[in-house]
Amino acid sequence: MRTRMALMYSLLWRLLLILVHVNRALFSWLHVRIQSWKGRLWERAATVLLLPISLVGFPDFQNNLNHGPDANVKPITEKRTGGGRSRCLSDGKSLKKIPVHIGLLVAEEEPSYPDIANVVVWCMAVGISYVSVYDNHGVFQKNNSRLLEEIKRQQQDLLGVDGSMHSVEFLSSGSDQHQHNVVSCRPTVRVLSPDDGKQSIVHVAQQLCRSVENKERSFKDINVSMLDLLLRESKNIPDPELVVKFGPVNSTLGFLPWHIRLTEFISLPSHRNISYEDLLGALQRYGACQQRLGQ
Amino acid sequence: MNEALYVFPGQRGRPSVLFQSRGGLVPCRSREPGLQLTVKSISGCKCNAISSKNGTLMWEPDAFPFVKAKTCTDMSWIKEGELSLLEKISANILKAGPMPKHVAFIMDGNRRFARKKNMERQEGHMQGFNKLAETLRWCKHLNIPEVTVYAFSIENFKRTEDEVDGLMELARQKFERLLEEHENLEKHGVCIRVLGDLNMLPLDLQQLIAKAVFTTRNHNKCFVNVCFAYTSRYEITNAVREMAWGVEQGLIKGSDVSEALLSECLYSNNSPNPDLLIRTSGEVRLSDFLLWQTSHSCLVFQSVLWPEYSFWNLCEAILQYQLNHKSIQKARDLHREHQALQQLEADRACVAELLQHHSNGKPVDSQRRQEALLHYTSCREERVRDFLEALKHKRDSFFSDLCSESLLA
Repeated sequence: MRTRMALMYSLLWRLLLILVHVNRALFSWLHVRIQSWKGRLWERAATVLLLPISLVGFPDFQNNLNHGPDANVKPITEKRTGGGRSRCLSDGKSLKKIPVHIGLLVAEEEPSYPDIANVVVWCMAVGISYVSVYDNHGVFQKNNSRLLEEIKRQQQDLLGVDGSMHSVEFLSSGSDQHQHNVVSCRPTVRVLSPDDGKQSIVHVAQQLCRSVENKERSFKDINVSMLDLLLRESKNIPDPELVVKFGPVNSTLGFLPWHIRLTEFISLPSHRNISYEDLLGALQRYGACQQRLGQ
Repeated sequence: MNEALYVFPGQRGRPSVLFQSRGGLVPCRSREPGLQLTVKSISGCKCNAISSKNGTLMWEPDAFPFVKAKTCTDMSWIKEGELSLLEKISANILKAGPMPKHVAFIMDGNRRFARKKNMERQEGHMQGFNKLAETLRWCKHLNIPEVTVYAFSIENFKRTEDEVDGLMELARQKFERLLEEHENLEKHGVCIRVLGDLNMLPLDLQQLIAKAVFTTRNHNKCFVNVCFAYTSRYEITNAVREMAWGVEQGLIKGSDVSEALLSECLYSNNSPNPDLLIRTSGEVRLSDFLLWQTSHSCLVFQSVLWPEYSFWNLCEAILQYQLNHKSIQKARDLHREHQALQQLEADRACVAELLQHHSNGKPVDSQRRQEALLHYTSCREERVRDFLEALKHKRDSFFSDLCSESLLA
C-alpha cells in the first residue's frame, strides 16, 4: 500500500513538472506574439487569462509581461536598434538611474557571441561605463578574443564608421592591468570567470596569512576594509549595482560573491535573439529598485 | 509574565486585547493570524480606569485582575499542529522530487506589513516572528531539517535608536521564551545556533543567546540558525582572521589556506550550504547574507511580505528549487572538481619547492615526487584537523564562558 502511494505521488510530481513546463512554453510563446502585436489590450487580456492558470508561473516572466515596453520607448520594428547611439544615450538619460557596473551573467549552455556582444554594446551606448560578462564554465574567458571581435563588429554596426573612435577597454583575467585606483575614462568590458570570485578572496587570505607568518602584522589587524582594499588592489572590479541574468537557472553560479552584497538581480529568460527593448526593460526595472541600506 | 492577556469590550463590539510585556501594556488587535485565545469572561469596565490612545483602549493593570484569558501561544518558537489534507497531499507530491536539506530565508517586509495594516512597527516585527515559528512547522512537515534566517543585520544598527532598542527587546523576549520552553525543544530535537558578530550586542542579550545555544547544542533532529548582528562580509573577514590566528599560533601555514578551509572557518561551518534561498517582499538583492555559502544555491525572490507568507508560497519556492535542481547540481559538481584540482596544484607547487630545497637543485624522480606529494597532503590535512579542533574549542568556550558569567551574575 505504501509503495503504491509513493508511486502515485511520484507520478503526480512528474505531472506537476510537465504542467509547469507547458505553462512556461505557453508564456514564452505568448510573449513573442505580444511583442509582434504590440497591442496593450492584448497584453492585458493575455495576462489576465493566463494568470489563474499559472499557479507557479514564472514570476520573472510575469514581471516582464506586466512592466512591458514603456510608453516612452518608441516601438522598434527591427530587432537590432535602428536609432543609433544618440537614441541609446537619450534612453539612458531618461532612466531614473543607471548602474556604474552591470554584470551579464550567462547561465545558459553554449553562449551566442553576437547576442552577448549586442548586449554589451547597448549597455555602453546607454551610458554604463563598466560591463562584465560571466559564465560559470569560463567559456568567455577561454574565447575572449572571439568576444572582442564580435563586440567590435557590433559597435561598428550600431555606431557606424565613427564607432571605432569610441574605443573600449577590454579586460580579462589574463591581461595585465595595474589600474589601482585610477578610474578609466573609457568604457570597460571585463570578462569574468569563477576564479574571480571565491578564489580571489582565498588569494587575499593567503596574502594576509603569509604576512602574519612573516610577523609583518597580527591577526587582530584584519578587518573588512583591509580585505576590501586588498581585493581591489589585485582585481580592480567595482561592485556591480545590477546583474542581468540570462537563462533559466536561478543561481549566481559563483559570480563575485564578495562584490554582490547590494546587487540587484534581474532575470531575463535568454540571451539568444535578445532585443534592445528587453535590455531597456531590465534597466527600467532596476531604476525602480529602492535600496534602504539597512535602515 | 509576558503571556497575560486582558480582554475587554472594545470598539464596534469587537473584543480588544492587550498583553503585558516588559515595556508595560501594549495594545494588539484581535483576530490576528496565529493569535489563539480563549476568552474567560468579558466584564464591563469602569470608565475611570481606562484611557484612550489612538482609538485603542488601555487600562491600569490592577483594574481587572480576574479577566485573564488563556495564555496565547503566539510568542512560542514551536507551533504544533498537523497540515490540512490539501497541504499534506501537496507536501507528499513535492517530497516525491528532490527536496532541499537546508533553506535560508531573508524575512523582509515586516515594516511594510505594519504600515499596510496600520499597526505599530514593533507589532509588524512580532508578526514576523510568528510567521517564522509557523514556517519552521511547515519545514518540519516537509522534512527540511535545517533553516537559516536573517534576523538582524549589522547595517540595521543604523536604524533609529527606538527601533533598534525595540528589536533588541524583542530578541530578549524571544530568547527568554526559548529558554522557558527548553523541554519542548528537547522533545522536538531543535538545535538553535546564532551566527554573527555577537560582541556587537548588549551583554545581557549575548548571555541569553549563549544560554540558548549551549542548552540546545546536542539536539540533532532539526537545526535553526539565526543570523543576528550578521553580515556576510564580516563573516568572511572573521574566517580570514581565524585562519591568521591559526597561523600566528603555529597550527597551520599560510600555504594551507584554501577555499575549503575558509568555508570551515565561517560561522556556518556546522551546516551544509543552503540549497534554497528565499527572499520575500519583492526585493531582488542578497543584502550581505550568506554570499559565500549561496554561490551555488537556488535563489527565489517572492513578492509576498514576510508576515503574509503562506504554505503555498513555500511550496512554490521548493518547486523552483526542484526545477533548477539538475542544472545547479551540475554547476556544483563542476565547481567541486575545479576546487580539488586547484588544491592538487597548490600541493604540487609546495612539494616542488620543498624538494628543490632538499635536493639542492638535483633532479628528483617522479616516484619520489609522488611519495612526497602524498606525505605532504596527509601532513597538511592533519594540521588542518588540529587547527579546526582548536577553533571549535575556542568557539565553544566563548559560549560556555558567557553562560557561566550569567550564572554568577
